[in-house]
Amino acid sequence: MKRTNLSAIGISKTFSRTGSNDSLPVLDMIDFAIQEGEFVSILGPSGCGKSTLLNILAGFEPADIGHATCCDDPIQAPSPERAVVFQSPLLFPWLHVQDNVMYGLKQKGISKADSEELALKYIKDVGLEGFEGYYPSQLSGGMQHRVSLARSLVLNPKVLLMDEPFSSLDAQTRYSMQQLLLRLWEDNRKTIVFITHDVEEALLISDRVCIMSQRPGKIVEEIKVTFDRPRDISLTSSQDFSRLKAHILTRLLS
Amino acid sequence: MMLNDRENDVNMKLAGFFLPVVLFTLWYIFTLDGGVPAYLLPSPGDLASTGIDFAIGENPPYGGTLFVHTMASVQRVITGFGLAVALGLPLGFLTGRIGLARASLDPTVHLIRIVPGISWLPIAMVWFGVGETTTLFLISLAAFFPVYVNAAQGASTVSPMLIRAGRMLGANDLRIFTTVIIPASMPATLAGLRLGLGLSWAYLVLGELTGVTYGLGAVMMDARMLGNVDMVLVSMIFIGFFGRISDIALVKSFRKFGLLKNGDRI
Ligand SMILES: Nc1ncnc2c1ncn2[C@@H]1O[C@H](COP(=O)(O)OP(=O)(O)O)[C@@H](O)[C@H]1O
Ligand SMILES: [Mg+2]
Repeated sequence: MKRTNLSAIGISKTFSRTGSNDSLPVLDMIDFAIQEGEFVSILGPSGCGKSTLLNILAGFEPADIGHATCCDDPIQAPSPERAVVFQSPLLFPWLHVQDNVMYGLKQKGISKADSEELALKYIKDVGLEGFEGYYPSQLSGGMQHRVSLARSLVLNPKVLLMDEPFSSLDAQTRYSMQQLLLRLWEDNRKTIVFITHDVEEALLISDRVCIMSQRPGKIVEEIKVTFDRPRDISLTSSQDFSRLKAHILTRLLS
Repeated sequence: MMLNDRENDVNMKLAGFFLPVVLFTLWYIFTLDGGVPAYLLPSPGDLASTGIDFAIGENPPYGGTLFVHTMASVQRVITGFGLAVALGLPLGFLTGRIGLARASLDPTVHLIRIVPGISWLPIAMVWFGVGETTTLFLISLAAFFPVYVNAAQGASTVSPMLIRAGRMLGANDLRIFTTVIIPASMPATLAGLRLGLGLSWAYLVLGELTGVTYGLGAVMMDARMLGNVDMVLVSMIFIGFFGRISDIALVKSFRKFGLLKNGDRI
């Protein structure tokens, strides 16, 4: 039996602007349970509270009502067990690629030799062999995202939380990043929560799609995506795919 | 701009030479025989020979004394500036990040900062007498403010997202401070250090003018009383020279220790 790895239990969140009485309800009773090894996309229009939800799952912000759990423990603070891949790579600009990837290992107190070996392995996995000594400013956007992915994966997290990680990339680079992510995921079957506003992306990569409504965001529908893996870009022109896509778009627009 | 970067660089370098060459030529022409008298402005040639004698010559009273005077001055700059850094950096980083530290320190620091550094001279002479201690006090005081203000500014503007990245990678509060906040504040901090080091040289001269035995400022004052304009100017040139060297050394050491990311233009 697969265990429930990550769940949201009745999460609501309202932002209030300091110094005024305006309040902005952003999340409304979000409930879901994600199994170990499952790849789930959360799909919603921009501004509906996706990042807010992810920040709560990551432990960056508390929920107002309800709570999130990881392996049955309540989430209270950020932890390398729930590694985050942000929308922008957010690498440390003063560290070169290898040191960026080794950063989390250092915090864990892993020996230098071991962390070097691990870092080199993951740098290779994301296709950046030979760029260990480059600084982030010397890399393209896509390469920076690869480093960002490597520095999270190297920590062997239980859950990978990804907040529209490829939305700033051009179509080609985005596709190759999706393929890279899937290839790595096939190898180790991490639990992944992948936030996106792109319907095709969600359908191409995930096992399940949770559709969020306009703000205040709530989950209006969950859809199992059963296309065979590995999924190819040609899938997007199949009838089943188009039908599912149309269904989701209608849901998003309603 | 229409020029590409490389062309631009070469042109910029050439442009930098233009003004010095013009000034030097004018200086040369004006100090030819029958021009400006030497007791006001010595000719380039006279000045050069005085400078060489100061460095390696034997003519009393200044011949060959450059080294001792320079060492005395450099030591004061290092001590005074070092003190300013030892106080300014930690306090700056703390005020930049911790609300309580900012609330309790910042208003007072800025109040003191309003008082021009030079106006501390008389009271410093009352407290510390003329010479050594007064000089160190003036240097530390003057250099403290830019170091403190810029470190605080750098630390307070570190991207909160970068801090989140550090947290989710497992860094605790202390490690966030040492491995994210401090390195991320380095560009601003270095700017403050450079300003502070420049002020250190300025206040070194002010302090030394009040009366110390050794030091480039002392030579300057001494030479003025003897009516030796050449030596006054030569001392000024050496102070400028060493000031610039120390600035370059500061920036270089930052690069060497990896505190500046590659490609940062200073
Ligand atoms: N820290 C905050 N303070 C106030 N309002 C916020 C804050 N963070 C997000 N919001 C608001 O909450 C809403 C949802 O934001 P977000 O979760 O970033 O949306 P999404 O990621 O789906 O585009 C937006 O209207 C945004 O302005
Ligand atoms: Mg977002």
